This record gives sequence, C-alpha cells and structure tokens, in this order.
Amino acid sequence: MLVKMFKATVQRVSTSAYKITQNCKSKDSHSVLIMIPHGRRCLSTSSCLYGKILPRKKPRVVHEIAGLEPITYADKMHFVPGLAKPKFPPWERGWKEPNHYQSPKLEDMPLYKDKPCYIFNQRTNVLEGVRQALWLSKSVLIKGLPDQILTLAEDPANQIENQDERVQNAIKNSRLWDTTEHRPPRERFCPLVLNRLLHLCGGLQVTHPELAKRILAEKYSLAATWRRGEDVFQVRGQNGLLLNSMTPLPVVAGQEQIQSTADQALETFYPIVPTIDLQNTHVYQEKNDTGFRKDYPYTHAHTLFLMEMGNTPKLLPEQLRAKMVMFTFGNALARAQALYGKEPSILEKPIVVQSVATNGRLFQFVVFQLNTTDLQSDSGVKNLAWVDEDQPLYEFAKVKPLIKKKVVQVPAGLSGYQPNTFKKFLALYLHGAV
Amino acid sequence: MMSVGLLSCALRALSLRSSQIAGVSAALTGSRGFMTSACDRQNRSLWKQRDKYTVRPIGVKKTGGRDYTGKIITHRIGGGHKQRYRMIDFQRLRYEAGKEEQPIEEKVVEVRYDPCRSADIALVAGGSRKRWIIATEHMEAGDLIQTSGAIGRIAVLAREGDSHPLGALPVGTLVNNLELFPGRGAQYIRAAGTCGVLLRKVNGTAIVQLPSKHQIQVLGACMVTVGRVSNVEHNKRVIGKAGRNRWLGIRPSSGLWQRKGGWAGRKIRPLPPMKRFVSLPSAAKS
Repeated sequence: MLVKMFKATVQRVSTSAYKITQNCKSKDSHSVLIMIPHGRRCLSTSSCLYGKILPRKKPRVVHEIAGLEPITYADKMHFVPGLAKPKFPPWERGWKEPNHYQSPKLEDMPLYKDKPCYIFNQRTNVLEGVRQALWLSKSVLIKGLPDQILTLAEDPANQIENQDERVQNAIKNSRLWDTTEHRPPRERFCPLVLNRLLHLCGGLQVTHPELAKRILAEKYSLAATWRRGEDVFQVRGQNGLLLNSMTPLPVVAGQEQIQSTADQALETFYPIVPTIDLQNTHVYQEKNDTGFRKDYPYTHAHTLFLMEMGNTPKLLPEQLRAKMVMFTFGNALARAQALYGKEPSILEKPIVVQSVATNGRLFQFVVFQLNTTDLQSDSGVKNLAWVDEDQPLYEFAKVKPLIKKKVVQVPAGLSGYQPNTFKKFLALYLHGAV
Repeated sequence: MMSVGLLSCALRALSLRSSQIAGVSAALTGSRGFMTSACDRQNRSLWKQRDKYTVRPIGVKKTGGRDYTGKIITHRIGGGHKQRYRMIDFQRLRYEAGKEEQPIEEKVVEVRYDPCRSADIALVAGGSRKRWIIATEHMEAGDLIQTSGAIGRIAVLAREGDSHPLGALPVGTLVNNLELFPGRGAQYIRAAGTCGVLLRKVNGTAIVQLPSKHQIQVLGACMVTVGRVSNVEHNKRVIGKAGRNRWLGIRPSSGLWQRKGGWAGRKIRPLPPMKRFVSLPSAAKS
C-alpha cells in the first residue's frame, strides 16, 4: 500500500510544477518545501491559494550619482536593510580555461578596424548573381566558352576510347548502381559523378604526358584582398576541389580583345548596391594566400571544381555561377599577388583559371582571365569571364520508369545523354596540356 | 498520502540543484538556494524575442489559444499547418545607417504568400539591405518603389506602392499601412484588399477614413503607402470544407445552444465621433 502510494507520488513529481502546488494548496498550503515555478516565490494571498504566478514587476532602478559614494554592506559581509547593494568587480580566473572563455567585445579585438570589409565566403548567396560578381571583380561577360577550348573539344585525337559508353557507365554507376534505394541523395551521387569523370579524364595521361604534372587538392583555404572604390573586399574560404598544375594556363584572349574591354562599361544595378549579401565585418585581416605553401611544386591553379548539393545553403544556378566567378577571380588574384606583389597594375601575362560546377546533372563552365589587378576604379582594362550556362549531361536517370496513364513518359535507366557536355569537360581538363 | 508526496518532492529538491530539475543550465535560471526550482516552460515566447532584423523565416511555436497558465483564453484556435514567421518591416521610412534624410529607392525582388496574414508580402532590396513589406495590389517583381519623408507645398503624384507622409499626398488617394504616430510603424489598414481614403487635410493633420468607415485624425507626418493591399480576392474565397478551416488553424465552435441576446445580428447606428490622435491646443478644439 505504501509502495503503491510512493509510486503514485513519484509519478506526480514528474508533472509540472504549478500542478503540484495546486494539489498541495488546500490541505498543506503552509508546508515549506513546494516546487516553485519561475524560481520565485508568490507571496500574495491569491497566488498562494490558486497557484497562479503573477508576472514579475521590473526591479527598482538604482541610479548612480557621480561624486556620491553609496554606503554598502560590503564591510559587514551580510545584508543590512537600508544600506546599498555593493557592486563587486568581475572575478577573473587568472588563467585561460577553454570551457569558460568569454571573448572580448568586437571593438576590443586586436584585428578590429574602423573601415568595414565585405567578405565573399563559401556560404554567400548573392542577390544579383553573375552581374554582381562581375562588378566586384571588374570583369566583362562573354557567353559561351572561348574558341580554343571548343576546338579542343572537337578534336578526335583528344577523345578517350569508347568515350560515350564509358561516361554513361560512370553516370549509371553513381546514380543507379550505387545503392538499393530508388533515389540516392544528391550529397551521395554528385561527388561520385565528378570523381568518376575526373578519373576517366586522368586516364588520358598515357597519350598526353603533360597531364601527369597535375594534382587535385581539396579543403584548401583561399584568401584574396582587393580594394574597389572606397571599400575593401575579400574572398575567403574552402570552396572545392582545385586542380593544380606545374605550368600556367595559356592566355586565352589576345591583346586587342583585352584593350577593347577598356571601352565597355561595367553594369550596375541601381538601387541595389553591389555589397549586398556580402558578409560585413570590422574584424578582419588583409590576407593574400593561395592556400598552399611557397615550396609547393604545383603552383598554378588550373581548374576549380564546385559541387552544389543543396545543403549549405541551396544555390540557384545563377548564384552558383556567381560563386564560381568570384572564386576563380580570388584564385587568380592570389596567384598574381604572390607573383607580382601587392601593387595594383595591369598584368603583362594575364592569369587564366577555369572552373566547373555541377549539381550531379547540370554543368556550368567558367573560364576567367585576370588582366589587371588595378581594381580601384571602374574604368580601364577589365578582366574577362567566359560563362557557359546550364549544360545538362543527361536528362533523367531513373530506377523505375515514369508511367502516366499506361504510357511510358520517361524510361528506366539513363536517358537524354548529351555527349557535348563531356567533350567540353574534357576540353577544359586538357587545356594547357595539349 | 499528501505528506509522502511532499517528502519525495523535498528529497528530489534536496538532492538536485534547482537548475538540474528542469534540465536548464544554472546560468539561465540565475537562482540561488535549494528551495527554489526552475520552471519548465521557459521557451514559450523565446522565438519572438529576436532583436536583430532578418529576412530568413523564423520557426513559430503555436499556443493553441492558451496563455502561460495553460487555460484556453481564445477559443477556436489550434492545430493547422506549420507556419514560419517572416519579420515584416512596418516602418517604411527606416533609413539605412549613414543615409538619413534621403528618399529611399527600393526594388521589388519577389512577391509571395505569407502564412501569417491574409495579404501577400514583398521582398524589397535597396542599398545593401533587404526587407519584407506588405505588398500592394499590382506590385510585381522588378518594380521600383520609393519612400520619402518630405512634405512639400504641392501634393506628390501618388504612384501605387510608394510611401509618403499624409501631408504630401493629394486628397482622395487610396492608402494603406497607416501609422497613428510618426515613427511608430504601420498598425492600421494591413489586411488583404483593404484601403483607406484620405478625406481632408487640416493644418498639419490629416483625416483618413478607415475600411470600417470610421474616420480618424492623425498627424500629417505619419507615413502611409499608396494603393490597396494585395490579395484583393481574399474575401471572395470559399472555404469549401471543414478540413480547410482546420488547415488554417481554426477549431470548430462550441455546439452548445446559446440564447441570443442583443449581441447577434447586424446593427445600424450612426458613426462614432472622429477619433483624434493629435493633441491640438484647446482653442482649436470645437
């Protein structure tokens, strides 16, 4: 009987606090140990009887009068009614404990500067897309890939044997034969597709020995700083796979095309300012770092592979292309500043960096040529960006066919394969080694 | 029986510190001593305590019509689809840091449905900030809207979607998102399809007719948006089934037959006197 009562009361202990006060009120309202909600005692008659907690009044504001020292009960070491509450200095531990570390305010940090810096990091999702990236990097857009790369794509000597069949096998391996689920998540098949395609391209080392002088690197942190107008901009972060090579990429645009960009005006988008959506911070360090040490043998950045898997944060194709342009620009600028110093100037040998971004099916290609590091003003020689948008590698890769009203709309397996997309991918890979 | 319950309470209170009982960190409760215990309903309204403005939607905790005691205060609320709250900026004339006293020009990026209100909302971007505002009737993505706090001698040509003080608009314009006091933020005429009419302007104040045909007098410096609020067909929609009401979070009414007093039915009575939100000197009051 007592055990049953005890079990019942133990169950009641776990109910919410005010219900316990209500149960106790009529019989034992004078007993001492009651669970008190909100951590404060309600001493008015109705609160004691009905268990209702009235909202707490704001505490009395104690004003500090300059010149007058309040008499406190600090010396007495106990509360004395009538004397003021002493204000003790905050206790310092004396040594740094990581679990209880309170960072200083932004203004007290050593890297604090009055001038704000706008940082483009790997999570930035710009509102205006490629136009904003072009303004920030002082570039001119050209739609489609440059002709040299397109001729490389068409040349039969550069193809892999059974190219189409092997690419289709690679896609089927990643999308259909990887798991027993119907639809593997994008985080799973996107890196698989990219790695398999890169492996296929790497197989051409037999016929093109120059390809051996390259290496893939991931999780490298890029840092590049430049000034535009009165503002300081930075590109920072770990962006994706970088293919480095020992030799630089050949210059794509000739001198006449470079000089003709000086006449084209940069596109602005009033009323939106180009610094929108960039991380604005006063605590920063003006760093220029390619992400690799000086004695690294593969010095020149060749191609940047970005994967858009929809997790952090989801990027629309326009914003993905903007991210590609900004990071290729950042890589090129960091390289230029490592080679030629920090002084802004027009480069005699423009630096070319390529980029490929994919979400597992659609590919975006960008070739960026850095002609000048003089980004202060809006006029003068500008950089060039060739952007090839939304190239599908295949249309559908389904495990089960899509049947509507007994008619097969989309067959099972891989359908809608486009060979041109892989040719461009291969051409970008081979550019500089052929 | 009661005493055993109390003893077990006491034992639990004695053995654990107050903050551990509720599973909340000591820093949050800030209470001392063993006789106190922390409450277990701390994050009822924490989701709406955010100070900094953000464009990203915030998760909402539904109350079901209940208040902090747990009793139903407003009936017929509960359930419904999950909603995320988008912070709407009702103060149109909010200047960016460093650009005070200049007319604000913004571009409409997107007009979308808002689950928390009947009107549609628009994401506008201007300068280097984005914010949500209540969309007007014909607002579309790509429009440019202006906000200006200047009152000139000649009335401004009112374009739909622009926001001006009442003193700057011509008499007879349809307005929405009305402020009662300058700088407080829009509190009136925000529902779908509503609009007020600027009736007359009297030395520094303006008289507006609200959608309920009441008339109010406010200062001429109060900001107001021109046009009707979006989603004009809202009152013509047909719910169709009880389930749709439940999706909207409206629970069924009580089935108890209640004797009708004088509260039901349409009333036809004269308008109440005009409410003044302006304190004029006593000689001007009539």
